Amino acid sequence: MKLNQYRKKSPWILHYNAGGCNGCDIEILACLGPKYDIERFGMINSGNPKQADVMLITGPVTKRSRERLVDVYSQMPEPKVVVACGSCTCTGGVFRGMYNCEGGVDQYIPVDVYVPGCGCRPEQIIAGVVEALKKLEEKTKEMEKSVRLDVAPVESDEQTNRRDIAAPINNGGKPTLFG
Amino acid sequence: MNNTVVQILLIVLAPVLGGLIYGLERKVKARMQRRIGPPLLQPFYDFLKFADKRKMIVHSTHAFLGIVHFISLWFAVAVLIMGGDFILIIFLHLLSTAVIILAGFSTRSIFSHLGANRSAISILAYEPVLVLIAISAYMLTGSFDVSALYASEMPVLFKMPLAFIALLLILPVKLKKSPFDVGDAHQEVVGGVELEYSGIFYEAVYTAKWLDYIFCYLLVFLFGGANIWLGLLLVALTFIYINALDNSTARVNYKQMLRFCLWVALPIAFVNLILTMFNVL
Repeated sequence: MKLNQYRKKSPWILHYNAGGCNGCDIEILACLGPKYDIERFGMINSGNPKQADVMLITGPVTKRSRERLVDVYSQMPEPKVVVACGSCTCTGGVFRGMYNCEGGVDQYIPVDVYVPGCGCRPEQIIAGVVEALKKLEEKTKEMEKSVRLDVAPVESDEQTNRRDIAAPINNGGKPTLFG
Repeated sequence: MNNTVVQILLIVLAPVLGGLIYGLERKVKARMQRRIGPPLLQPFYDFLKFADKRKMIVHSTHAFLGIVHFISLWFAVAVLIMGGDFILIIFLHLLSTAVIILAGFSTRSIFSHLGANRSAISILAYEPVLVLIAISAYMLTGSFDVSALYASEMPVLFKMPLAFIALLLILPVKLKKSPFDVGDAHQEVVGGVELEYSGIFYEAVYTAKWLDYIFCYLLVFLFGGANIWLGLLLVALTFIYINALDNSTARVNYKQMLRFCLWVALPIAFVNLILTMFNVL
């Protein structure tokens, strides 16, 4: 029995509003409600970054919120994926070029899936999260891969090592270094 | 002999049974809100996922206390299943809660501190009632051993019905269910004491939650006495009651919770103690 197949069955969601207008937030909450009910895929809106897998971000990242955004992102343990919900989050939207924000969330943290729309529909959010789960699977596999160095071992690097110092004993008393 | 085998099996499988109860509860909760709900085995999927996540610990004592919380709770459940001393069971459970409160205070997160504070207040709310129920059981059977209650021919429910009512009133506090879920309040303190756990160490706290279900429903099962079917019926009714209450009420604040438990549940348990003492029922 492969236990790995169950890891994508319980993605816990962390929802972060980076200065949005609440339009996309309402759509995310609608996903959790009775009509769309993403809890049937095992998703819970856990407000806790330390236990979450998927980070849903809404809103253009304002100057006030970007420090917290990076802080919350760095508190999530690997593997993690980020879904940018809404036009503002993807590109900056109507707020692009304003004094208090720059274009989009991907200038601060790596984004895996972009969900467009103002505000993005619940169906789109669900599709985006399903895409994100595939990315999560890839990332987990990448994490589990064993690392092997392709570089050939170094033969000599012209450094003094202990073998050379001990050479008088090994070479039958013939000194090579330190006379 | 057969009985001992069943007991050991129950103790070993207690977390699994608790996980099934938790899965069923999430399903029932979803159906009460007209949702489809997660699959029955969802808690186990969560369990397997948390085993895969990278571990981030605050400090080693914090992680260790989480595991001690799980183990001491398992001990409490084991003593309850084996029919040991009622007072010992209550204090083992208290120990496990005290350990997790200590873990909550050992971090610098303010939410963790708030959750630990509220857990301590919850103890103040339910612990006196539990002790009074234990003393009532002593008055009834003449021994603090739970096995005397298991063996009681006349169901304990008919001997001390008021104790059962008091237990029903404090069960939401112990299980951290609405309206008395101040310790766990997801929207306010984001889970309280379990906030700083992640990865495999959160698993210990998460599984301890399942063991808590087993502990509470076993306390309900005690009231069936030697009649197993009555005990199971009581457990099923309590399950429906807890979930209906959880879905239909809003959270009260901790002062209201404390006032309710100490002014309503505690006097009921006390009256029950007096009635049992003079053998009225």
